[in-house]
Amino acid sequence: MNINRRLFMGTGAAATVALSAPMVRAAGHGKPRVVVVGGGAGGATAARYIAKDSEGAIDVTLIEPTRTYYTCFFSNLYLGGFKEFDDLGHTYGTLASAYGINVVHDWAVGVDRDARTVSLAGGASVPYDKLILSPGIDFVEGSVPGWDISVQNVMPHAFKAGSQTELLKAQVEAMPEGGLFVMIAPPNPYRCPPGPYERVSMIAHTLSKINPSAKILIADPKEKYSKQGLFEAAWQKYYPGMIERLGPDFGGGNVTVDPSAMTVDIDGEVEQAAVVNVIPAMKAGRIAELAGVTDGNWAPINPEDMSSKADPDIYVLGDAAAQGDMPKSGFAANSQAKVCANAVRGALTESRVFPAKYTNTCWSLVSENDGIKVGASYEPAEGKISSIEGFVSQTGEDAAVRQATYEESEGWYAGITADMFG
Amino acid sequence: MRAAAILALCAFPAFANEAEELLLAETGDAEYGEYLASECTSCHQISGAMDGIPPIVGWDEIAFRLTMHHFRNKTREHQAMNVIAARLGDEEIAALSAYFATLNPEDDG
Repeated sequence: MNINRRLFMGTGAAATVALSAPMVRAAGHGKPRVVVVGGGAGGATAARYIAKDSEGAIDVTLIEPTRTYYTCFFSNLYLGGFKEFDDLGHTYGTLASAYGINVVHDWAVGVDRDARTVSLAGGASVPYDKLILSPGIDFVEGSVPGWDISVQNVMPHAFKAGSQTELLKAQVEAMPEGGLFVMIAPPNPYRCPPGPYERVSMIAHTLSKINPSAKILIADPKEKYSKQGLFEAAWQKYYPGMIERLGPDFGGGNVTVDPSAMTVDIDGEVEQAAVVNVIPAMKAGRIAELAGVTDGNWAPINPEDMSSKADPDIYVLGDAAAQGDMPKSGFAANSQAKVCANAVRGALTESRVFPAKYTNTCWSLVSENDGIKVGASYEPAEGKISSIEGFVSQTGEDAAVRQATYEESEGWYAGITADMFG
Repeated sequence: MRAAAILALCAFPAFANEAEELLLAETGDAEYGEYLASECTSCHQISGAMDGIPPIVGWDEIAFRLTMHHFRNKTREHQAMNVIAARLGDEEIAALSAYFATLNPEDDG
């Protein structure tokens, strides 16, 4: 068996004592155990890489409540009519069958850091040597007055993909002629910085075909947002007169909603809406808070290996992490997962550990065959993940460049989902 | 690799400058390359499948190194690849080429 490095922390007689204690904990098992909570871009990737590269030397358990995972990335393309809903769905069968990962479909509801166990809603308790939390986001209660999770069937957020995405699309398609779609955009930081604006583009694309006199109003608490110039140029070009955005100067950050009346109050002006897409303020998925690794809304990590600043045996990936300069994106979570997997494997089996390097690219579709992107490389520096060099699409690029960017995003989707789910 | 590199330099003297010569002479650490390759496989599928992004498995090592070098020094332009290659040293490019050369299209790494 591979002996955990931790066993060698003691010296002489102390080491002998140390050798016996973890053996009891691992009795009947013998292998180091990694538990991963959350089967998205961070968690599925980390589980797969640890299982694949350790070649059976590490037991990997992946805890994910959904049997079919619908990717948030590309879900806007479904709203725009460029993807079928089923195109977004992925299952965990290959992770179980080809990689030997113990896939548990349950909710993690607690972490006992002293006993090193994760408790599940179903009642089970799962022991770990290293715990990887990749729970994505939850919403900050009360961030949009009038809205809470009990009315998400009336005013959907659709920022966790699945039934919410289907609901939002159905609502858009059922809008009365000339009706108003209102988006309440979230404050920073949030999942997928260009996501709300790609969504507006895709909904505008759908409406321009089925309901061209409809209007889109964005109430936005942010002064500016990702790829703003590129989005605004696209809206002008493809959907002239359809989209209006109220930033904080025009009360876009002072919003309340009334789901029973389907109204939105923006700085005292009440709008009657056909569809209201409320994207509340976000925080780390609840299990990070329950594990006690959050500081404020997010979980701070060490940029060298994604380990929690609160506990060296817990790692936090993706949207839930406060890591520095990377945007909260599926690409970023997938990138962070590989650095983490390398470090966790090294800690448990003494395999080689290499320096952390991170990458991100966010593609957005603004109209048919018109893709834009922003990306950067990152490395640990100054105690955080720091941006090294970046790039962004330019306004006025010719159609061939934009089409190539869109095709690249399709390639990336195929690549990252293969990288996540095998 | 060194022998192969020298052969390559003889075969394509017009393409070899000092920087390329040093890169081609570097010994590739395939295990390091496997780790670094995980950055590539977010987009380039390990199966070699192509869906809008070119396959990069099973390449000749010399071709792989020179391609990455040209992205690095921006004689070949691509926004994402220029940024990704910019932070790779000769050791990293050699490691990646050594690893990807061990893969065949359709093999699952």
